[in-house]
Amino acid sequence: MSDRIEGVKKLFTSKSARVETNRGDTYYEQLFQSCEARIKELKTQTPRENRLDIDDLLESQGVDRRSFMKWASAVTGMLMLPASFTPLVADAALLMNRAPVIWIELSDCAGNSEALLRSDGPKIDEILLDIISLEFHETLQAASGHQAEKQLEEAMHTFKDKYLLFVEGAIPMGLDGQFGTIGAYGETMYDHLMRVSKHAAAVVAVGSCATFGGVPAAAPNPTSAVGVMDVLKGKPLINIPACPANPANMVGVIIHYILTGQVPELDSLLRPKFAFGYRIHDNCERRAHFDAGEYVEEWGDEGAKNNFCLYKVGCKGPMTFNNCSIVRYNEGVNWPIGVGRGCIGCSEPDFWDKYAYERPMADAKIKAPTGGVEKTVDEFGLGLLTAASIGIGIHAAASVIAGKTENKEY
Amino acid sequence: MSSKNVEYDDKLGHKRVRVRRMTFSMRLIHWVNVFSMIVAIITGLYIADPYYQAFIADDAVDKYVMAWNRWGHFMVAIIFDVTSIIVSYLFFFSRFEKHYLKIIPTKKNIIEFFEVILNLITLNRRKKFDSSHSDSFNSVYFIIFHMLLAWMLFTGLQLYVHGLASGESSIGVWWPWMLHLITDWTIPVSAWMVGMAGNIPSIMDVRIVHHMSMWIIIIWVVFHIYYQIWRTIFWQEGDIAIVVGGSKFMKVNEDGNKNIDI
Repeated sequence: MSDRIEGVKKLFTSKSARVETNRGDTYYEQLFQSCEARIKELKTQTPRENRLDIDDLLESQGVDRRSFMKWASAVTGMLMLPASFTPLVADAALLMNRAPVIWIELSDCAGNSEALLRSDGPKIDEILLDIISLEFHETLQAASGHQAEKQLEEAMHTFKDKYLLFVEGAIPMGLDGQFGTIGAYGETMYDHLMRVSKHAAAVVAVGSCATFGGVPAAAPNPTSAVGVMDVLKGKPLINIPACPANPANMVGVIIHYILTGQVPELDSLLRPKFAFGYRIHDNCERRAHFDAGEYVEEWGDEGAKNNFCLYKVGCKGPMTFNNCSIVRYNEGVNWPIGVGRGCIGCSEPDFWDKYAYERPMADAKIKAPTGGVEKTVDEFGLGLLTAASIGIGIHAAASVIAGKTENKEY
Repeated sequence: MSSKNVEYDDKLGHKRVRVRRMTFSMRLIHWVNVFSMIVAIITGLYIADPYYQAFIADDAVDKYVMAWNRWGHFMVAIIFDVTSIIVSYLFFFSRFEKHYLKIIPTKKNIIEFFEVILNLITLNRRKKFDSSHSDSFNSVYFIIFHMLLAWMLFTGLQLYVHGLASGESSIGVWWPWMLHLITDWTIPVSAWMVGMAGNIPSIMDVRIVHHMSMWIIIIWVVFHIYYQIWRTIFWQEGDIAIVVGGSKFMKVNEDGNKNIDI
């Protein structure tokens, strides 16, 4: 209950979802100067382990300067900055190896790591994520056991209060956290998160599990899994939900941090507004079919062949906020609705229970307010209506048989 | 109760008095609400789960099935919103009848409330209250209805403002801003009502509760219609006419006083 009261307070104190895209020349001039100063300062620092040179790396992947600058101007637009910021954004991208990042994995499937590493033909977003100064990442590093532990300690010590902590995965809270332990000392995931986040400059929860609990927290949530924002207090926290989170949005957050030293503007669910201020439905290529009432009735029918709207097979685009209908995945190659299956609302809280059931909400078996039995809302409502009608029927019959009509004589 | 009580003798010599119960504007609001509700349910069911198919062979210019349904839904919603505001004004400030006086839990009101229920469950064998005016059971029953309508209004506007994610609207930025301000509280309240696994309020909770509330309103309507017909048949006071002509009849004694067995 106290959580819900907190939720109400948060909703009333948060600014609306509106994104201010024009704050006036004075604001941007000041911002430009402060960003420029920050970039200059960062340029004087040398990365601790400059393993890869960004220019070489881009060249080896066949990305020329022109493509890189095109990408930089797109990111400038995504971050809602004026076009004059493009050179700064490009500089910030080249300085991404100055931002020490520690990446920990908790209760998850490593899907977000997979999303940014296993892309077929890496594009600039993925390449940049290769060159961030990734000081610790269990899945990727060679070290294991006590060695890995030592490496983590070192990274935390060297970059104390400066590193960005990326968290992937939910935190199992059941049985005192014993559902999930990690590392050579069998530390619970909760303790692990608390220890590593203590001296982080900011925490970035990546993917739906780390943000809202995601699939591990789906009903009946046997491990009592929760997201980072439920347990971590008093730290700047940025949520980048989605299953998996879009690498473009991770890069956006890091570049924003390098450029300004601050977290981007967030909505009431702590999601960056530059990425989650858009409703999928509003930029969907199948939107016209929605308004026309042309729906895919079942998989593979004539409607599906004609790219009709996927609302009746459960698309949750109308109630999901994310930018995947704009930036898409794998550098704009495609996205769920583009490949002919509906949105499952993976960037919204409790998406597995409340969004991802492949049919419209009214026709989906979700837990009724009575608990226990899973019914569609319509079945539940019709059940109540039937009960009420039976009651009325009994009363009507009894009234006819035994009722006392006034003025029977007339 | 009302200013013009017309005395009336029926053929059997019972003295009756005409009692005015609903003003013209009240009756107008009632039928506007009936119309709005029917349209809202028909279109709302389509929006929730499109239950008929567009005719693929139709001309492109006609193909706005979902758009027309949503248009109709929003139009009757706005009409509903306006009548709700008028009704809530009349609830307190009507010169005709002060409904709020009947829901204050005074001893008189509580007794009357249970007497009306007893009348219903004893199949009119016990009738110990003044049925000429709006009784406190009716007042409470209508309060429930208007609270359901207000709830639909707030949750509906919350669902509507999702479509204004840019924060812009054709009538200015104040409109989505205001909608967020007055309806964002429905998200945690709906999440609490749905009460599923997670504890993070989600906009889907509002959608679920908005749809569920429609069924509760339908049940409300079914009982309302049944009860008004039942009263008309068993009380023999012409209650069903209230919403058409604005008045019903009340039995009085030969001396013209109310014929009530209290």
